[in-house]
Amino acid sequence: MTLLIALLCGIVAVPGVSFLSLGFAWLLGWEPPEKTVTKLTALCYGIVTTLALALALGMAITGQHRVVAELGSWFVVHDYRFPLRLLADSVSLPFQLLGAILVGVVGRFSGSYIHRDPGFFRFFLLLHLFGFGILLLFSAATFDVVIGGWELVGLTSVMLIAFFQHRDEPVKNALRAFATYRTCDIGLLVGVVLLHGQTGSAGFEALSQIHAGEATLLGLLFLLAAMGKGAQVPFSGWLPRAMEGPTPSTAIFYGALSVHAGAYLLLRAQPLLQESRVAAGIVVVVGLATALHGTLAGRAAADTKTGLAHASLTQLGLVFAELGMGWTTLALWHIVGHAAVRTLEFLRAPSMLHDYHHVHAAAGGALSTSGEHYKKLLPESVRHWFYRLALDRGHLDTIVERFLIGPVLRLATGLQRSGKKKTENTHE
Amino acid sequence: MNDPLRFPWLSASLAVLVIAALLTWRTTETRRARRVAVTGLLIALLPLLLAYTDVLRVGEYHPEPWSSGFRLDALSAPPLSLLVALALGVCIAAPRRMVSPHWLSGILLITATTQMAYATESPIILALGWGGSLVPFLVRGFFVETLPRFTKATLLASTLCLIAGLVLTKTAPTLAFGFFLGAIFLRKGLWPVHGSIVAAYEKGPLLPFALLVNGHLGGFLVTHQVIPELPEPARQLLPVLGLIALVTSAYTALLALVERKPRRLLAFLAISQASFILTGLTSHSTEGIAGALIHWQVVAVSTTVLAIIIAGLEARVGEGLDLRRFYGLGMAAPRLAVFFVVSGLALVGLPLTLGFCAEDLLLHGTLETHELIGVFLPIVTALNAVSLLRFFAALFLGRHGVEAQGMVDALPRERVVLTTALLFLVVGGIFPGIFVRLPARAAEHLTQFITPAPQFITPARALELR
Repeated sequence: MTLLIALLCGIVAVPGVSFLSLGFAWLLGWEPPEKTVTKLTALCYGIVTTLALALALGMAITGQHRVVAELGSWFVVHDYRFPLRLLADSVSLPFQLLGAILVGVVGRFSGSYIHRDPGFFRFFLLLHLFGFGILLLFSAATFDVVIGGWELVGLTSVMLIAFFQHRDEPVKNALRAFATYRTCDIGLLVGVVLLHGQTGSAGFEALSQIHAGEATLLGLLFLLAAMGKGAQVPFSGWLPRAMEGPTPSTAIFYGALSVHAGAYLLLRAQPLLQESRVAAGIVVVVGLATALHGTLAGRAAADTKTGLAHASLTQLGLVFAELGMGWTTLALWHIVGHAAVRTLEFLRAPSMLHDYHHVHAAAGGALSTSGEHYKKLLPESVRHWFYRLALDRGHLDTIVERFLIGPVLRLATGLQRSGKKKTENTHE
Repeated sequence: MNDPLRFPWLSASLAVLVIAALLTWRTTETRRARRVAVTGLLIALLPLLLAYTDVLRVGEYHPEPWSSGFRLDALSAPPLSLLVALALGVCIAAPRRMVSPHWLSGILLITATTQMAYATESPIILALGWGGSLVPFLVRGFFVETLPRFTKATLLASTLCLIAGLVLTKTAPTLAFGFFLGAIFLRKGLWPVHGSIVAAYEKGPLLPFALLVNGHLGGFLVTHQVIPELPEPARQLLPVLGLIALVTSAYTALLALVERKPRRLLAFLAISQASFILTGLTSHSTEGIAGALIHWQVVAVSTTVLAIIIAGLEARVGEGLDLRRFYGLGMAAPRLAVFFVVSGLALVGLPLTLGFCAEDLLLHGTLETHELIGVFLPIVTALNAVSLLRFFAALFLGRHGVEAQGMVDALPRERVVLTTALLFLVVGGIFPGIFVRLPARAAEHLTQFITPAPQFITPARALELR
């Protein structure tokens, strides 16, 4: 194993090991004190960041564009094998670095922010699991491994939305987010298996063997998965609800990393979008619709975090549109920049009022609200219509409830009633 | 046969279980009876584990020196050891108020008879084991709660179907196949008789019935009898069983979405996920069959853990839990919450658990042979995952009510059992090699009988051919 491969493996292994050791220690009855947890977190992500930097430096010095770690097969059945392969290249390396740094920063911030909260340990445990999941996702060389990271990121996201579990509302919102994730993840699962069926491999390079017709189907399946994680229209409803979680997790999940996982998937699925103009066109349309929706709904948001969530949606929509257009380099830099800025904004959100007063005073009380000049371009009746639309977040929740959740629940209730009747008849 | 076992491990293990069952039946004190049962199960498990390692090491077929009726191979070794381990876990972790000497004796009897059915080559012993496992539920005195009449009738009918199938195997294979199908259908509670299993979970003795269901003798009949003995009808007609299993899993997954009673919801989830075993076994692909055999282990462990936790919660806060509200029990019992969520999510294929490997293989296997069937699997799994998280959230999250006040977290004996189960699921997920090896070998063996798969001809294709 060369040094670069060892560094790549370390990036994924370190958070995984810290999660497992903390988790099993707790199950066996030991709950470490806060200081130990924060120090361990700082050490863990300090190491991961160092490893990622060393990997980047090593690749630059040796002139390697790709480092692939072949770790054998996870399991083998007949002629099917699940390859454990990790990858560092020009796409994954910025994400790995971003992930390591931002999780570390948020860990440091949370040490003070969640200090003495009854869920302190739980928060950090989930943060480590998330760190492992997201770094696995960004380091994966095959879509099989991507699924592993993808699901862990989704699960930790849900658990952190329900972090304040003594209230019912965060729990309900977490369930909503989970349902959206699982529905959209079907796209990824089926897409990967179909890809395997078509090419005999689920590696990223297998996408180049896919032809136009199949590329459209696979592209749309991957898009469905990306829409769930990336909160694209019409699956945007869960993102404002996810703001129920603690601020640090909101920052890392919905400002920085988790929401960009969908965009990362589409970056990896670029060969499909290049092959199928239909799929690429739909990605652009979805992205632009989300951007429009985000900017509109964000203007009617009543609290800072929801406003920031919608601002994230707008940027994510633009990233999707860029990916649909094939502007991958622009999209990559857009993601990195957006993740960094948005994390800062989310982390500053609790003290925003204080900041605002500070800036307001510094500006001599002459701060003006933005966007007024756009509003004035529209007639008042249209403005009112837009306002109602924005206030109800584009009626997206209503649409999803009426056309997706409602019919499924009605069907289930109908089946339950008919089943009960049958059972009663049988017992009679 | 490279290296036959020098000691009759299976007979010894079985004998220990039967003796322990008799001893516990005669014991008057519950605590002592529990000690006897646990010791008996531990002694019975050790030789099985030795035999298991032997199967791993040397091969797949090991007749005992003097008993040609018992064998252990790649197919029967994992579920056999697992069942005894599950019975051990149930005996240790069952709430004190639920346990009595006769209750423990019933558990031991279920284990012994199911073990008999797993290990035998003789059709008579198979029928005895199949029917014998029902005895504690049909005869009064073992458990306080009794099974609903509908369930009893269904299970008895399954035994009759099995006997008819075994009798007709040589003379009328197609008819025998039909009877076997009936036995599997009734025993596993496939749609539309799923109600028999749900009612038993709700009104019957939860832990013993969960153990009976997790024997998965219906699935075992497919692999042990139907595929090897009747390969031609199996090749042609097994996909029908797979289709019924798929309908069952989708139907029960939908019902789980709106269910409000914990025991019934657990039953729906167990039936839905267990139906995937049949879907995989009938997929005609090595990956699908191996996935089904691994999923069998995951379903058995996960649903038993969930049943233990529900029984524990009922003992703590009463039986009238309603999942339309939140109980917030996680505040008082965080460890129980973790055990519940991890084993539950393993059931629906959480990465880093053995369930993920099983789901991956099942999906590959079924999509490889029947794309449309394969697409349904992730949809049903997604529905079950949502129900499961709702289940978890209602019990452990939300504003805590009076039920959570003064409630104790996992007791040491519960913690030992649940941690071991969790280790099995998680370590199996991180290092699946040892758990996949035998199912993979068994799947390769079974696939020889039923390949090539029959092709479904769509109307469009039929028109094209014409």
